[in-house]
Amino acid sequence: MSEKWTLHVAPGADNDPVFVGVGEIPTGKFPDRGFIQALTKVAILALKDAGMVPRDIDTIMLIPNLHSAADQADLVFSRMVEELGIHGTCKSSYMVHSGGSTSDNAVRAAHGLIAAGHAQNILVLQCERWGSADLQEMITMLSKNGIPGEWELPTGIQFNAIGAMITRRYMHASGSTPEEMASVCVTLRNWANLNENAMFYTKPLTVEQILASRMVADPLHSYECPPMADGACAFVMTNTANAKKRGISNAVRVAGSGGCVSHYCLSQEVDQAVLGWPLAAERAWNQSGWGPEDADIAEIYDSYAAVTAIALEGIGIAAKGEGARWFAAGHGDPGGKLPMNTNGGLLSAGHTGVGGGTALLVEGIRQLLHRAPSKRQVEDCQRAIIGGSGGSYMDAQILLLERTKLGA
Amino acid sequence: MQTPKIVTEFRTGLSDGKLLVQLCKDCGKPNMWPRYACPHCQSENLDWQHSGGVGTLHSFCVLRQGAPEGFEEDLPYAIGVVKLDEGVQLAVRLVPSAPDDWSEYQCDDRVEFVPVSADQIEKRPCATFKRIAD
Repeated sequence: MSEKWTLHVAPGADNDPVFVGVGEIPTGKFPDRGFIQALTKVAILALKDAGMVPRDIDTIMLIPNLHSAADQADLVFSRMVEELGIHGTCKSSYMVHSGGSTSDNAVRAAHGLIAAGHAQNILVLQCERWGSADLQEMITMLSKNGIPGEWELPTGIQFNAIGAMITRRYMHASGSTPEEMASVCVTLRNWANLNENAMFYTKPLTVEQILASRMVADPLHSYECPPMADGACAFVMTNTANAKKRGISNAVRVAGSGGCVSHYCLSQEVDQAVLGWPLAAERAWNQSGWGPEDADIAEIYDSYAAVTAIALEGIGIAAKGEGARWFAAGHGDPGGKLPMNTNGGLLSAGHTGVGGGTALLVEGIRQLLHRAPSKRQVEDCQRAIIGGSGGSYMDAQILLLERTKLGA
Repeated sequence: MQTPKIVTEFRTGLSDGKLLVQLCKDCGKPNMWPRYACPHCQSENLDWQHSGGVGTLHSFCVLRQGAPEGFEEDLPYAIGVVKLDEGVQLAVRLVPSAPDDWSEYQCDDRVEFVPVSADQIEKRPCATFKRIAD
Protein backbone atom coordinates (compact mmCIF):
# COMPACT_ATOMS: atom_id res chain seq x y z
CA MET A 1 0.00 0.00 0.00
CA SER A 2 1.13 3.53 -0.68
CA GLU A 3 1.69 5.89 2.23
CA LYS A 4 -1.44 7.69 3.44
CA TRP A 5 -1.33 11.46 2.90
CA THR A 6 -3.87 13.31 5.02
CA LEU A 7 -5.55 16.41 3.61
CA HIS A 8 -4.71 19.15 6.11
CA VAL A 9 -8.17 20.67 5.96
CA ALA A 10 -11.20 19.40 7.85
CA PRO A 11 -14.56 18.97 6.09
CA GLY A 12 -16.70 22.01 6.82
CA ALA A 13 -13.87 23.98 8.45
CA ASP A 14 -13.72 27.71 7.69
CA ASN A 15 -10.78 27.20 5.33
CA ASP A 16 -12.23 24.14 3.56
CA PRO A 17 -12.16 25.05 -0.17
CA VAL A 18 -15.45 24.66 -2.06
CA PHE A 19 -16.68 24.96 -5.64
CA VAL A 20 -19.57 27.41 -5.85
CA GLY A 21 -20.19 28.11 -9.54
CA VAL A 22 -19.57 26.99 -13.13
CA GLY A 23 -19.91 28.51 -16.59
CA GLU A 24 -19.76 27.04 -20.09
CA ILE A 25 -20.60 27.92 -23.69
CA PRO A 26 -21.28 25.48 -26.57
CA THR A 27 -18.47 23.27 -27.88
CA GLY A 28 -17.98 22.76 -31.63
CA LYS A 29 -16.82 24.87 -34.56
CA PHE A 30 -17.31 28.58 -33.91
CA PRO A 31 -14.83 30.45 -36.12
CA ASP A 32 -16.51 33.80 -35.43
CA ARG A 33 -16.36 33.46 -31.64
CA GLY A 34 -13.26 35.25 -30.38
CA PHE A 35 -10.84 33.80 -27.84
CA ILE A 36 -11.05 36.66 -25.32
CA GLN A 37 -14.76 37.05 -26.05
CA ALA A 38 -15.37 33.40 -25.09
CA LEU A 39 -13.25 33.67 -21.94
CA THR A 40 -15.10 36.80 -20.87
CA LYS A 41 -18.43 35.10 -21.46
CA VAL A 42 -17.65 31.99 -19.37
CA ALA A 43 -16.12 34.14 -16.62
CA ILE A 44 -19.34 36.14 -16.30
CA LEU A 45 -21.47 32.97 -16.43
CA ALA A 46 -19.44 31.27 -13.69
CA LEU A 47 -19.45 34.39 -11.50
CA LYS A 48 -23.23 34.76 -11.86
CA ASP A 49 -23.64 31.07 -11.01
CA ALA A 50 -21.55 31.67 -7.88
CA GLY A 51 -23.49 34.80 -6.96
CA MET A 52 -20.39 36.93 -7.42
CA VAL A 53 -19.15 39.86 -9.47
CA PRO A 54 -15.64 40.25 -10.92
CA ARG A 55 -14.33 42.41 -8.06
CA ASP A 56 -14.97 39.53 -5.65
CA ILE A 57 -12.19 37.62 -7.38
CA ASP A 58 -8.68 37.92 -5.96
CA THR A 59 -6.99 35.19 -7.99
CA ILE A 60 -7.41 34.16 -11.61
CA MET A 61 -6.00 30.79 -12.65
CA LEU A 62 -5.69 30.11 -16.36
CA ILE A 63 -5.97 26.78 -18.14
CA PRO A 64 -3.71 26.90 -21.24
CA ASN A 65 -4.77 26.75 -24.89
CA LEU A 66 -2.89 24.87 -27.60
CA HIS A 67 -4.15 26.68 -30.73
CA SER A 68 -1.99 29.79 -30.40
CA ALA A 69 1.14 30.77 -28.48
CA ALA A 70 0.17 34.45 -28.79
CA ASP A 71 -3.25 33.84 -27.22
CA GLN A 72 -1.55 31.81 -24.51
CA ALA A 73 0.79 34.73 -23.80
CA ASP A 74 -2.25 36.99 -23.37
CA LEU A 75 -3.46 34.69 -20.62
CA VAL A 76 -0.07 34.39 -18.94
CA PHE A 77 0.31 38.15 -18.88
CA SER A 78 -2.98 38.84 -17.07
CA ARG A 79 -5.18 40.01 -19.95
CA MET A 80 -8.29 38.57 -18.29
CA VAL A 81 -7.70 40.70 -15.18
CA GLU A 82 -8.09 43.81 -17.32
CA GLU A 83 -10.96 42.41 -19.42
CA LEU A 84 -12.91 41.77 -16.21
CA GLY A 85 -12.02 45.18 -14.83
CA ILE A 86 -10.25 43.99 -11.69
CA HIS A 87 -6.79 45.41 -12.42
CA GLY A 88 -5.60 47.28 -9.38
CA THR A 89 -7.37 44.90 -6.96
CA CYS A 90 -6.69 41.37 -8.25
CA LYS A 91 -3.89 39.78 -6.25
CA SER A 92 -2.59 37.17 -8.65
CA SER A 93 -3.15 35.79 -12.15
CA TYR A 94 -1.26 32.83 -13.59
CA MET A 95 -1.38 29.61 -15.57
CA VAL A 96 -1.21 25.97 -14.51
CA HIS A 97 -0.30 23.42 -17.20
CA SER A 98 -0.04 19.64 -17.41
CA GLY A 99 -1.92 19.06 -20.67
CA GLY A 100 -5.10 17.01 -20.33
CA SER A 101 -4.70 16.69 -16.56
CA THR A 102 -4.37 20.46 -16.04
CA SER A 103 -7.83 20.76 -14.51
CA ASP A 104 -6.95 18.22 -11.81
CA ASN A 105 -3.71 20.00 -11.00
CA ALA A 106 -5.40 23.43 -11.15
CA VAL A 107 -7.89 22.22 -8.52
CA ARG A 108 -5.04 20.98 -6.33
CA ALA A 109 -3.28 24.35 -6.70
CA ALA A 110 -6.44 26.37 -6.00
CA HIS A 111 -7.35 24.09 -3.09
CA GLY A 112 -3.95 24.67 -1.49
CA LEU A 113 -4.05 28.43 -2.03
CA ILE A 114 -7.49 28.73 -0.44
CA ALA A 115 -6.83 26.36 2.47
CA ALA A 116 -3.57 28.12 3.31
CA GLY A 117 -5.07 31.59 2.97
CA HIS A 118 -3.15 32.83 -0.07
CA ALA A 119 -6.42 33.23 -1.93
CA GLN A 120 -10.09 33.62 -1.07
CA ASN A 121 -12.10 33.64 -4.31
CA ILE A 122 -10.47 31.96 -7.31
CA LEU A 123 -11.79 32.08 -10.88
CA VAL A 124 -10.44 29.35 -13.17
CA LEU A 125 -10.80 30.06 -16.91
CA GLN A 126 -10.38 27.89 -20.00
CA CYS A 127 -10.80 28.47 -23.75
CA GLU A 128 -9.55 26.52 -26.77
CA ARG A 129 -10.02 27.12 -30.51
CA TRP A 130 -8.98 23.76 -31.93
CA GLY A 131 -12.11 23.48 -34.05
CA SER A 132 -11.28 26.67 -35.94
CA ALA A 133 -7.50 26.22 -36.10
CA ASP A 134 -5.55 24.99 -39.15
CA LEU A 135 -5.83 21.17 -38.97
CA GLN A 136 -2.40 20.36 -40.48
CA GLU A 137 -0.76 22.86 -38.14
CA MET A 138 -2.45 21.23 -35.15
CA ILE A 139 -1.49 17.69 -36.27
CA THR A 140 2.13 18.77 -36.61
CA MET A 141 2.02 20.51 -33.22
CA LEU A 142 0.59 17.32 -31.71
CA SER A 143 3.47 15.29 -33.14
CA LYS A 144 5.70 17.32 -30.80
CA ASN A 145 3.71 17.41 -27.54
CA GLY A 146 4.66 14.54 -25.24
CA ILE A 147 6.98 13.26 -27.95
CA PRO A 148 10.77 13.69 -27.68
CA GLY A 149 11.94 15.45 -30.85
CA GLU A 150 15.36 13.82 -30.97
CA TRP A 151 14.21 10.25 -30.34
CA GLU A 152 10.59 9.65 -31.38
CA LEU A 153 9.55 12.42 -33.75
CA PRO A 154 11.57 10.75 -36.56
CA THR A 155 9.18 7.74 -36.47
CA GLY A 156 6.30 10.00 -37.61
CA ILE A 157 4.30 9.44 -34.43
CA GLN A 158 1.38 11.76 -33.60
CA PHE A 159 -1.66 11.75 -31.29
CA ASN A 160 -3.85 9.25 -33.16
CA ALA A 161 -0.86 6.87 -33.41
CA ILE A 162 -0.43 7.11 -29.64
CA GLY A 163 -4.15 6.45 -29.10
CA ALA A 164 -4.02 3.56 -31.57
CA MET A 165 -1.10 1.86 -29.83
CA ILE A 166 -2.80 2.10 -26.43
CA THR A 167 -6.02 0.78 -28.00
CA ARG A 168 -4.26 -2.17 -29.63
CA ARG A 169 -2.44 -3.13 -26.43
CA TYR A 170 -5.66 -2.80 -24.45
CA MET A 171 -7.59 -4.97 -26.92
CA HIS A 172 -4.79 -7.56 -26.85
CA ALA A 173 -4.62 -7.65 -23.05
CA SER A 174 -8.40 -7.66 -22.44
CA GLY A 175 -9.65 -9.61 -25.45
CA SER A 176 -12.06 -6.74 -26.18
CA THR A 177 -13.63 -6.80 -29.65
CA PRO A 178 -13.91 -3.84 -32.06
CA GLU A 179 -17.65 -3.80 -31.26
CA GLU A 180 -16.94 -3.52 -27.53
CA MET A 181 -14.46 -0.67 -28.10
CA ALA A 182 -16.98 1.15 -30.30
CA SER A 183 -19.65 0.80 -27.60
CA VAL A 184 -17.66 3.21 -25.39
CA CYS A 185 -18.11 5.90 -28.05
CA VAL A 186 -21.83 5.10 -28.28
CA THR A 187 -22.31 5.60 -24.52
CA LEU A 188 -20.60 8.98 -24.79
CA ARG A 189 -22.81 9.94 -27.72
CA ASN A 190 -25.90 8.94 -25.75
CA TRP A 191 -24.86 11.47 -23.12
CA ALA A 192 -24.00 14.14 -25.73
CA ASN A 193 -27.53 13.78 -27.01
CA LEU A 194 -28.68 15.15 -23.65
CA ASN A 195 -26.22 18.09 -23.70
CA GLU A 196 -27.12 21.13 -25.79
CA ASN A 197 -23.55 22.40 -25.44
CA ALA A 198 -22.07 19.22 -26.96
CA MET A 199 -20.57 19.27 -30.47
CA PHE A 200 -22.62 16.17 -31.38
CA TYR A 201 -25.91 17.08 -29.68
CA THR A 202 -28.83 15.41 -31.50
CA LYS A 203 -26.51 13.31 -33.68
CA PRO A 204 -27.08 9.67 -32.65
CA LEU A 205 -24.27 7.16 -33.33
CA THR A 206 -24.23 3.35 -33.58
CA VAL A 207 -21.54 0.67 -33.30
CA GLU A 208 -22.19 -0.20 -36.95
CA GLN A 209 -21.57 3.40 -38.08
CA ILE A 210 -18.31 3.52 -36.14
CA LEU A 211 -16.99 0.24 -37.55
CA ALA A 212 -17.97 1.32 -41.08
CA SER A 213 -16.04 4.61 -40.78
CA ARG A 214 -12.62 4.77 -42.40
CA MET A 215 -9.53 3.36 -40.71
CA VAL A 216 -7.31 6.24 -39.57
CA ALA A 217 -4.68 4.50 -37.46
CA ASP A 218 -5.30 0.75 -37.11
CA PRO A 219 -7.15 -0.23 -34.98
CA LEU A 220 -8.82 3.22 -34.67
CA HIS A 221 -11.65 4.20 -37.03
CA SER A 222 -12.27 7.88 -37.71
CA TYR A 223 -15.38 7.93 -35.46
CA GLU A 224 -13.20 6.64 -32.62
CA CYS A 225 -10.84 9.63 -32.88
CA PRO A 226 -11.58 12.77 -30.90
CA PRO A 227 -13.12 15.68 -32.86
CA MET A 228 -11.09 18.87 -32.41
CA ALA A 229 -13.39 21.59 -31.11
CA ASP A 230 -13.69 25.17 -29.90
CA GLY A 231 -14.91 25.43 -26.34
CA ALA A 232 -14.68 27.39 -23.12
CA CYS A 233 -15.66 26.86 -19.49
CA ALA A 234 -14.94 28.26 -16.05
CA PHE A 235 -15.45 27.58 -12.37
CA VAL A 236 -15.25 29.47 -9.08
CA MET A 237 -13.81 28.26 -5.76
CA THR A 238 -13.86 29.94 -2.36
CA ASN A 239 -13.46 28.95 1.30
CA THR A 240 -16.32 27.58 3.40
CA ALA A 241 -16.53 30.57 5.77
CA ASN A 242 -16.87 32.97 2.86
CA ALA A 243 -19.39 30.74 1.09
CA LYS A 244 -21.55 30.69 4.24
CA LYS A 245 -21.23 34.45 4.63
CA ARG A 246 -22.52 34.80 1.08
CA GLY A 247 -25.56 32.67 1.90
CA ILE A 248 -24.52 29.65 -0.12
CA SER A 249 -26.08 26.53 1.37
CA ASN A 250 -24.84 23.76 -0.93
CA ALA A 251 -21.39 23.49 -2.45
CA VAL A 252 -18.84 20.90 -3.57
CA ARG A 253 -15.68 20.00 -1.68
CA VAL A 254 -12.58 17.96 -2.41
CA ALA A 255 -12.54 14.68 -0.45
CA GLY A 256 -9.10 13.70 -1.72
CA SER A 257 -6.94 13.12 -4.75
CA GLY A 258 -4.38 10.71 -6.11
CA GLY A 259 -1.99 10.76 -9.03
CA CYS A 260 0.81 8.97 -10.82
CA VAL A 261 3.09 10.22 -13.61
CA SER A 262 3.99 6.93 -15.28
CA HIS A 263 6.06 8.20 -18.24
CA TYR A 264 6.85 11.18 -20.45
CA CYS A 265 6.79 9.49 -23.86
CA LEU A 266 4.64 6.46 -24.63
CA SER A 267 7.60 4.26 -25.61
CA GLN A 268 8.75 4.33 -21.98
CA GLU A 269 5.42 3.15 -20.53
CA VAL A 270 5.89 -0.31 -19.02
CA ASP A 271 2.30 -1.43 -19.70
CA GLN A 272 0.14 0.59 -22.08
CA ALA A 273 -2.96 -1.36 -20.98
CA VAL A 274 -2.52 -0.22 -17.35
CA LEU A 275 -0.83 3.23 -17.27
CA GLY A 276 -0.70 5.09 -13.93
CA TRP A 277 -4.29 4.47 -12.82
CA PRO A 278 -3.85 1.72 -10.16
CA LEU A 279 -1.36 3.77 -8.10
CA ALA A 280 -3.33 7.01 -8.60
CA ALA A 281 -6.48 5.25 -7.36
CA GLU A 282 -4.75 3.69 -4.37
CA ARG A 283 -3.49 7.12 -3.33
CA ALA A 284 -6.94 8.68 -3.83
CA TRP A 285 -8.70 5.99 -1.72
CA ASN A 286 -6.05 6.32 0.97
CA GLN A 287 -6.55 10.07 1.22
CA SER A 288 -10.35 10.09 1.12
CA GLY A 289 -11.43 6.83 2.71
CA TRP A 290 -13.61 6.27 -0.35
CA GLY A 291 -13.74 3.22 -2.57
CA PRO A 292 -14.84 2.93 -6.19
CA GLU A 293 -18.34 1.86 -5.08
CA ASP A 294 -18.94 5.20 -3.32
CA ALA A 295 -19.33 7.38 -6.41
CA ASP A 296 -22.63 8.35 -8.04
CA ILE A 297 -20.99 9.51 -11.29
CA ALA A 298 -17.57 9.44 -12.95
CA GLU A 299 -16.12 12.03 -15.34
CA ILE A 300 -12.93 10.52 -16.76
CA TYR A 301 -10.73 11.75 -19.61
CA ASP A 302 -11.82 9.98 -22.78
CA SER A 303 -9.83 11.13 -25.80
CA TYR A 304 -9.92 7.47 -26.94
CA ALA A 305 -12.20 4.66 -25.77
CA ALA A 306 -9.30 2.53 -24.51
CA VAL A 307 -7.95 5.35 -22.36
CA THR A 308 -11.21 5.48 -20.40
CA ALA A 309 -11.63 1.69 -20.24
CA ILE A 310 -8.10 1.41 -18.81
CA ALA A 311 -8.87 4.13 -16.25
CA LEU A 312 -12.10 2.39 -15.18
CA GLU A 313 -10.15 -0.80 -14.50
CA GLY A 314 -7.34 0.94 -12.63
CA ILE A 315 -9.85 2.82 -10.50
CA GLY A 316 -11.69 -0.44 -9.80
CA ILE A 317 -15.05 0.54 -11.29
CA ALA A 318 -14.73 -2.31 -13.80
CA ALA A 319 -12.91 -5.60 -13.21
CA LYS A 320 -9.50 -6.10 -14.82
CA GLY A 321 -9.95 -6.55 -18.57
CA GLU A 322 -13.67 -5.69 -18.41
CA GLY A 323 -13.60 -1.90 -18.98
CA ALA A 324 -14.85 -1.87 -22.57
CA ARG A 325 -17.39 -4.66 -21.89
CA TRP A 326 -18.63 -2.61 -18.90
CA PHE A 327 -19.58 0.10 -21.39
CA ALA A 328 -21.00 -2.43 -23.87
CA ALA A 329 -23.34 -3.63 -21.07
CA GLY A 330 -24.66 -0.07 -20.76
CA HIS A 331 -23.39 0.49 -17.21
CA GLY A 332 -22.11 4.00 -18.02
CA ASP A 333 -25.17 5.08 -20.04
CA PRO A 334 -27.97 7.42 -18.98
CA GLY A 335 -29.88 5.30 -16.44
CA GLY A 336 -26.91 2.93 -16.03
CA LYS A 337 -25.40 1.93 -12.71
CA LEU A 338 -22.62 4.58 -12.86
CA PRO A 339 -23.30 7.46 -15.25
CA MET A 340 -20.01 8.18 -17.05
CA ASN A 341 -18.91 11.41 -18.74
CA THR A 342 -22.36 12.88 -18.56
CA ASN A 343 -21.55 15.83 -20.87
CA GLY A 344 -20.62 13.43 -23.71
CA GLY A 345 -16.90 13.52 -22.95
CA LEU A 346 -14.12 14.56 -25.32
CA LEU A 347 -15.27 12.06 -27.94
CA SER A 348 -18.79 13.45 -28.27
CA ALA A 349 -18.96 16.84 -26.54
CA GLY A 350 -15.73 17.73 -28.40
CA HIS A 351 -11.98 17.65 -27.76
CA THR A 352 -10.99 21.12 -26.63
CA GLY A 353 -7.34 20.25 -26.02
CA VAL A 354 -6.34 20.90 -22.45
CA GLY A 355 -9.96 21.98 -21.97
CA GLY A 356 -11.41 18.49 -22.48
CA GLY A 357 -10.51 17.58 -18.92
CA THR A 358 -11.74 20.94 -17.65
CA ALA A 359 -15.14 20.41 -19.31
CA LEU A 360 -15.44 17.02 -17.58
CA LEU A 361 -14.52 18.59 -14.25
CA VAL A 362 -17.05 21.40 -14.75
CA GLU A 363 -19.71 18.82 -15.60
CA GLY A 364 -18.89 16.90 -12.41
CA ILE A 365 -19.21 20.07 -10.31
CA ARG A 366 -22.45 20.98 -12.12
CA GLN A 367 -23.93 17.54 -11.40
CA LEU A 368 -22.93 17.76 -7.72
CA LEU A 369 -24.46 21.25 -7.47
CA HIS A 370 -27.63 19.73 -9.02
CA ARG A 371 -27.53 22.40 -11.74
CA ALA A 372 -27.39 20.19 -14.84
CA PRO A 373 -30.40 20.43 -17.18
CA SER A 374 -33.04 18.05 -15.85
CA LYS A 375 -32.76 15.61 -18.77
CA ARG A 376 -29.23 14.65 -17.75
CA GLN A 377 -29.10 15.58 -14.05
CA VAL A 378 -28.25 12.42 -12.10
CA GLU A 379 -30.71 12.12 -9.24
CA ASP A 380 -29.39 12.81 -5.72
CA CYS A 381 -25.84 13.08 -7.04
CA GLN A 382 -23.53 13.29 -3.98
CA ARG A 383 -20.10 11.99 -5.00
CA ALA A 384 -18.05 12.12 -8.19
CA ILE A 385 -14.81 10.61 -9.43
CA ILE A 386 -12.99 13.02 -11.77
CA GLY A 387 -10.09 11.62 -13.82
CA GLY A 388 -7.59 13.30 -16.12
CA SER A 389 -4.53 12.43 -18.17
CA GLY A 390 -2.06 14.61 -20.04
CA GLY A 391 0.44 14.43 -22.90
CA SER A 392 0.98 10.90 -24.20
CA TYR A 393 -1.14 9.65 -21.24
CA MET A 394 1.88 10.49 -19.10
CA ASP A 395 -0.18 10.68 -15.93
CA ALA A 396 -3.32 9.47 -14.23
CA GLN A 397 -4.95 12.07 -11.99
CA ILE A 398 -7.98 11.48 -9.79
CA LEU A 399 -10.04 14.02 -7.86
CA LEU A 400 -12.78 12.86 -5.51
CA LEU A 401 -15.49 15.51 -5.13
CA GLU A 402 -18.52 15.51 -2.85
CA ARG A 403 -21.57 17.67 -2.37
CA THR A 404 -21.56 19.39 1.00
CA LYS A 405 -24.25 21.22 2.97
CA LEU A 406 -22.81 24.41 4.46
CA GLY A 407 -25.49 25.21 7.03
CA ALA A 408 -26.10 28.67 8.47
CA MET B 1 22.14 24.77 -30.74
CA GLN B 2 24.49 21.95 -31.66
CA THR B 3 22.92 18.48 -31.67
CA PRO B 4 23.89 16.84 -28.34
CA LYS B 5 26.57 14.16 -28.46
CA ILE B 6 24.27 11.42 -27.14
CA VAL B 7 21.99 12.10 -30.13
CA THR B 8 24.70 12.22 -32.82
CA GLU B 9 26.41 9.08 -31.48
CA PHE B 10 23.13 7.14 -31.33
CA ARG B 11 22.32 8.20 -34.89
CA THR B 12 25.84 7.39 -36.14
CA GLY B 13 25.28 3.91 -34.73
CA LEU B 14 22.04 3.59 -36.73
CA SER B 15 23.84 4.83 -39.90
CA ASP B 16 26.50 2.15 -39.34
CA GLY B 17 23.76 -0.48 -39.04
CA LYS B 18 24.01 -0.81 -35.27
CA LEU B 19 21.48 -0.29 -32.52
CA LEU B 20 23.24 1.28 -29.55
CA VAL B 21 21.99 1.24 -25.98
CA GLN B 22 23.48 3.64 -23.48
CA LEU B 23 25.30 1.87 -20.65
CA CYS B 24 26.17 3.40 -17.29
CA LYS B 25 29.79 2.63 -16.49
CA ASP B 26 29.19 3.09 -12.78
CA CYS B 27 26.05 1.07 -12.03
CA GLY B 28 26.16 -1.05 -15.19
CA LYS B 29 22.52 -0.44 -16.13
CA PRO B 30 21.29 0.19 -19.69
CA ASN B 31 19.36 3.41 -20.42
CA MET B 32 16.86 4.12 -23.18
CA TRP B 33 16.32 6.74 -24.32
CA PRO B 34 19.91 7.82 -23.76
CA ARG B 35 20.15 10.29 -20.87
CA TYR B 36 22.49 13.10 -19.80
CA ALA B 37 22.95 11.45 -16.42
CA CYS B 38 22.11 7.87 -15.48
CA PRO B 39 18.52 7.90 -14.13
CA HIS B 40 19.43 4.98 -11.84
CA CYS B 41 22.54 6.42 -10.13
CA GLN B 42 22.95 9.97 -11.58
CA SER B 43 26.42 9.15 -12.91
CA GLU B 44 27.60 11.07 -15.98
CA ASN B 45 30.07 8.31 -16.77
CA LEU B 46 28.10 6.91 -19.70
CA ASP B 47 29.07 4.75 -22.66
CA TRP B 48 27.41 2.61 -25.35
CA GLN B 49 26.85 -1.09 -25.85
CA HIS B 50 25.63 -2.84 -28.99
CA SER B 51 22.13 -4.15 -28.51
CA GLY B 52 21.43 -7.75 -29.49
CA GLY B 53 18.63 -6.12 -31.50
CA VAL B 54 15.98 -8.62 -30.42
CA GLY B 55 12.90 -7.92 -28.38
CA THR B 56 9.12 -8.13 -27.96
CA LEU B 57 6.58 -5.87 -29.66
CA HIS B 58 4.54 -4.25 -26.88
CA SER B 59 2.16 -2.51 -29.28
CA PHE B 60 2.00 -0.91 -32.71
CA CYS B 61 -0.27 0.99 -35.06
CA VAL B 62 -0.56 1.64 -38.78
CA LEU B 63 -1.00 5.33 -39.51
CA ARG B 64 -3.06 5.78 -42.70
CA GLN B 65 -3.83 9.50 -42.65
CA GLY B 66 -3.04 12.65 -40.70
CA ALA B 67 0.75 12.44 -40.97
CA PRO B 68 2.78 15.22 -39.35
CA GLU B 69 4.27 17.74 -41.77
CA GLY B 70 7.08 16.13 -43.78
CA PHE B 71 5.80 12.56 -43.27
CA GLU B 72 2.94 12.65 -45.80
CA GLU B 73 4.82 10.64 -48.46
CA ASP B 74 5.57 7.85 -45.95
CA LEU B 75 1.87 6.95 -45.50
CA PRO B 76 0.83 4.33 -44.65
CA TYR B 77 3.50 3.49 -42.08
CA ALA B 78 3.67 1.42 -38.90
CA ILE B 79 5.10 2.57 -35.57
CA GLY B 80 5.74 0.18 -32.70
CA VAL B 81 7.09 0.09 -29.18
CA VAL B 82 9.70 -2.63 -28.68
CA LYS B 83 10.87 -4.02 -25.36
CA LEU B 84 14.46 -5.11 -26.00
CA ASP B 85 15.76 -8.24 -24.32
CA GLU B 86 18.29 -5.95 -22.55
CA GLY B 87 15.35 -4.58 -20.53
CA VAL B 88 14.90 -1.15 -22.16
CA GLN B 89 12.28 -0.03 -24.65
CA LEU B 90 12.03 2.30 -27.66
CA ALA B 91 9.73 3.51 -30.45
CA VAL B 92 10.53 2.13 -33.90
CA ARG B 93 9.27 1.84 -37.48
CA LEU B 94 8.06 -1.64 -38.52
CA VAL B 95 8.79 -3.27 -41.91
CA PRO B 96 5.62 -4.47 -43.68
CA SER B 97 5.38 -8.22 -44.41
CA ALA B 98 4.05 -7.37 -47.90
CA PRO B 99 3.74 -3.91 -49.48
CA ASP B 100 1.67 -1.70 -47.11
CA ASP B 101 0.59 -4.80 -45.17
CA TRP B 102 1.29 -5.26 -41.45
CA SER B 103 -1.57 -7.72 -40.83
CA GLU B 104 0.81 -10.49 -39.71
CA TYR B 105 1.97 -8.42 -36.75
CA GLN B 106 0.50 -8.95 -33.28
CA CYS B 107 1.28 -7.61 -29.84
CA ASP B 108 3.98 -9.67 -28.07
CA ASP B 109 5.49 -10.86 -31.37
CA ARG B 110 9.23 -11.37 -31.27
CA VAL B 111 10.90 -8.73 -33.44
CA GLU B 112 14.44 -7.90 -34.56
CA PHE B 113 16.40 -4.81 -35.53
CA VAL B 114 16.85 -4.24 -39.26
CA PRO B 115 19.83 -2.14 -40.38
CA VAL B 116 18.84 0.41 -43.05
CA SER B 117 20.93 2.67 -45.30
CA ALA B 118 22.75 5.73 -44.00
CA ASP B 119 20.63 7.81 -46.42
CA GLN B 120 17.47 6.48 -44.80
CA ILE B 121 18.82 7.30 -41.31
CA GLU B 122 19.75 10.79 -42.51
CA LYS B 123 16.09 11.28 -43.47
CA ARG B 124 14.44 9.36 -40.61
CA PRO B 125 16.86 8.88 -37.72
CA CYS B 126 15.00 6.07 -35.94
CA ALA B 127 15.40 2.30 -35.58
CA THR B 128 13.54 -0.12 -37.86
CA PHE B 129 12.38 -3.57 -36.72
CA LYS B 130 10.69 -6.57 -38.32
CA ARG B 131 8.74 -9.56 -37.13
CA ILE B 132 10.75 -12.75 -36.59
CA ALA B 133 9.04 -15.48 -38.64
CA ASP B 134 7.31 -18.20 -36.58
